[in-house]
Amino acid sequence: MTTTDTTTGATTGTTPVFSVDGLWKVFGPKAARVPGDPDLAALDPAELRGRTGCTAAVRDVSFDVRKGEVFVVMGLSGSGKSTLVRCLTRLIEPTAGTIAIDGEDVRAMDKSRLRALRRHRAAMVFQHFGLLPHRTVLDNVAYGLEIQGVGKAERREKAAAVVAKVGLEGMEQRRPAQLSGGQRQRVGLARALAVDPEVLLFDEPFSALDPLIRRDMQEEVIRLHREEGRTMVFITHDLQEALKLGDRIALMRDGRVVQLGTPEEIVGSPADDYVREFVRDVPREQVLTVRTAMRPATSADEAGTGPAVRPDATVSEAIEAVSRAGTSARVLDDGKCVGVVDAPALLNVVAGDVAAGGPADAAPAPATTSEEPV
Amino acid sequence: MATLTATAEKTSPPGIRTNPTARKLAVLALLAAVLVPLAVARWAGGTWPEALTVNVSEPLGEASDWIIDNRDSHPLFLYFFGHVSNVVVIAVRAVYLALLAVGWAGVTAVSALIAWRVAGVRLALGTATAFLACGLLGMWVPTMQTLALMVVAVIVSVAVGALLGLAAGLSVRMDRVLRPVLDTMQVLPAFAYLLPVVLVFGIGVPAAVLATVVYAAPPMARLTALGLRGADKEVLEAVESLGTTARQRLLTARIPLARKELLLGLNQTIMMALSMAVIASVIGAGGLGDRVYQALASVDVGAALAAGIPIVLLAVVLDRVTGAAGARLGQAPAPNARALWAYALVAAVAVAVAGRLADRLEWPDGWVVGIAEPVNRAVDWMTDHLYSGVPVIGGTADWAGHFTTWVLDPLRDGLQWLPWWAVLLIVAALALVIGTWRTALTAVLAMAAIGVLGVWKPSLDTLSQVLAAVAVTLVIGFATGIAAARSDRVERLLRPLLDVFQTMPQFVYLIPVVALFGVGRAPAVAAAIVYALPAVVRITTQGLRQVDPAALESARSLGATSGQQLRQVQLPLARPALLLALNQGVVLVLAVVIIGGLVGGGALGYDVVFGLAQGDLATGLVAGAAIVCLGLMLDRVTQPTERRAKKGA
Repeated sequence: MTTTDTTTGATTGTTPVFSVDGLWKVFGPKAARVPGDPDLAALDPAELRGRTGCTAAVRDVSFDVRKGEVFVVMGLSGSGKSTLVRCLTRLIEPTAGTIAIDGEDVRAMDKSRLRALRRHRAAMVFQHFGLLPHRTVLDNVAYGLEIQGVGKAERREKAAAVVAKVGLEGMEQRRPAQLSGGQRQRVGLARALAVDPEVLLFDEPFSALDPLIRRDMQEEVIRLHREEGRTMVFITHDLQEALKLGDRIALMRDGRVVQLGTPEEIVGSPADDYVREFVRDVPREQVLTVRTAMRPATSADEAGTGPAVRPDATVSEAIEAVSRAGTSARVLDDGKCVGVVDAPALLNVVAGDVAAGGPADAAPAPATTSEEPV
Repeated sequence: MATLTATAEKTSPPGIRTNPTARKLAVLALLAAVLVPLAVARWAGGTWPEALTVNVSEPLGEASDWIIDNRDSHPLFLYFFGHVSNVVVIAVRAVYLALLAVGWAGVTAVSALIAWRVAGVRLALGTATAFLACGLLGMWVPTMQTLALMVVAVIVSVAVGALLGLAAGLSVRMDRVLRPVLDTMQVLPAFAYLLPVVLVFGIGVPAAVLATVVYAAPPMARLTALGLRGADKEVLEAVESLGTTARQRLLTARIPLARKELLLGLNQTIMMALSMAVIASVIGAGGLGDRVYQALASVDVGAALAAGIPIVLLAVVLDRVTGAAGARLGQAPAPNARALWAYALVAAVAVAVAGRLADRLEWPDGWVVGIAEPVNRAVDWMTDHLYSGVPVIGGTADWAGHFTTWVLDPLRDGLQWLPWWAVLLIVAALALVIGTWRTALTAVLAMAAIGVLGVWKPSLDTLSQVLAAVAVTLVIGFATGIAAARSDRVERLLRPLLDVFQTMPQFVYLIPVVALFGVGRAPAVAAAIVYALPAVVRITTQGLRQVDPAALESARSLGATSGQQLRQVQLPLARPALLLALNQGVVLVLAVVIIGGLVGGGALGYDVVFGLAQGDLATGLVAGAAIVCLGLMLDRVTQPTERRAKKGA
């Protein structure tokens, strides 16, 4: 695996929500032989198809999703990301590998255990919403509770609360056909939230929406995550969306994870040329943090004066502070000065020169803070 | 340079190696060159050789005699068919008595109120008017008889069809087994279903109901399966991701998602059931169809019309109300829907009780408007003045006579003159041009089966009528379809006409043609043309209108005239639709040409009627089997390869 997972070591204390190891999904005749055979497993997609008639949608993928984080799987269409997320609750049966939720083996579950998992622990939001057209908004949201056998009055009450939470008050009695795309996806989101799952799975939920509405919905997800701290697995093909929402991002290509790391790591130190090409147009100053650009203070004077910035402030914020003050800025962590940034260092970040240094040695704490809207 | 060579290649006629149709035909020619001399040497040419026929009449006659002898004693009849028959009789009787007990006012009120709730005020008024018209024409009791039979037949058809559809929708294996059977049943003429049920149940209401069920259940089954299979994959996945059991998925998602198809299935089943319930008068269904049948037998056009109008009204009302129910599906129900249903129910009960108290259950005799007399006078006048001797244009009977002598007779004689192997070869070649080896093989086998059954000559007679009718239908249908596709005004004018014509049962088309042309083969052909035209026009229009607008626009931007657009873009791109129109046209024409046996069309249809009337079931059954073969052959010959994929069912 070419994954560069630089941050796993820091949080081994708690069990990850999802733990995926060596996961394969191969479509085609006699798919099961592919993962076990090193010769076949090493083939590229076209060769594999030619030799066996099989398509490997997910190839030897491993990652952990930690409690409370937003884990983004990002890749272009056909990279296997949607198959991957369906494997998590076995909507698509994986070919090989292990999946554990809270340490419990998902692939070993029998039908009723699996149903319980889908009912209570992981709920999914779909790209084209997947709403039932013959039901009202309220009954769509209450559907998950209904199939669990929750009584009518109780489930409607719960559903009404969730409908309000996603901002659809007053639309409870409408049908999906009477709603706009954004509103429909709010219903989809509410349906997933109504069962109070441990993890929310999003499969490209906003790809079918207009750009402005997409931004609204992204804000909505960020707000929900801030309020509830629910673990989320988010599939997207949109790099901006991935950088905006993700605490960590797994970048997929041809079924493999090519890089796994924080947005800053992905942008700041791409693992290979593919990733580099991918992130080339990202405005680096808005993703990279001051930590990347700071150096130790050379004098007490430098450590004592100048504007203060947080270590996780973005470079663009620091640029603003530095240019306004006309001097270098201090990076304060809990009131302690951990370093300084000056104009040349910040410019280097924008120009792309600090990639060599990378954040690995500069980051003393893991990036567990949820991403704040800048 | 590159483009130049490319166009040069395209314009050169495709060689025999590259053109798949030409290659198939070449193989066929090779096969024929080997087989035909052998066959001719062995059995001689000309009509179907005696040596190759199997006499099935005798064993069939014996079988039918055995059944008649044992109907009251054999356990199979005592414990199975007997019970089925009794249940059907009791059910129809019960519905009929209930309808009579509610009274004409009650039935009208209940129907109108149902129509109001599911389809709106306008259709409610239409429904009430239709029922009152049935009464005014003096047809209240026959209408109720037909309705009773239909209610039972529709309930059974829907139940059977939905179960079969459920099986085919949920199990791939069942689907693979059922689909070809249902597809084939769909193309067979209604008449073919009559004799087997008569063989088992004898002439009477049970046979009529069961024939109706066999005819009307397939569309329900097809559409149920289609709806279940066509459900939005992502919705089903979403429902599964929430942890539903298979049962919950079926009840809360798959079936509700298929509601549109289910209602369409109900609509089609009702329409087919009405159509068959009327035709089944030939085997003892009674009611409106029987009145038409009796009147036609004595060429009493007035009486036939008095019974025919209620059939048409019933058909239009039933179709519009169920259709409107389907169209309303997506919308949210009115907030006070339940209260309105309650009001409707109370009002209907009140009207029924009022009718009962006023002792006005039967339609009052004084209110009947006899149209038979004036209609017959008009027909007499027509016979005197329009039938023949009209200056310049001639008369309708003259036309019919000319059509018979100049078109039907030569066509029939020509077909019967052709050596039998030549007929088979033509069938094979046509099927190959339009379809595949498989369809060609089925078509040839079906045609050969007709010969084996020993009804080669009458079948070719029927075939000649079908071919003449199809030719006329296609000429008129394509022309009208093209006109409607090119002009919105023509389409607007045509649409209501097509709507009405497409809902009418086959049987009623016989009434006007008898009035105009008398009896014989020409009126049967005319009825078939009128029956098949609406479908052909509609499919042609839709096909032309659905041609990719971008392709049409690019042709226009290159400066193509409208004639060039039609010839070079629209018609080629609409080829699948045109072939489908041909296929539908052939199937529909055959159905009515067979029924034409009732008005002197002769040939196979007459054999069936004769068999029924004389109790000579063997003759009828052989003719019925030949009809099935003919239907199969005609469908396969005109079956485009894409049809299955296109319709998805």
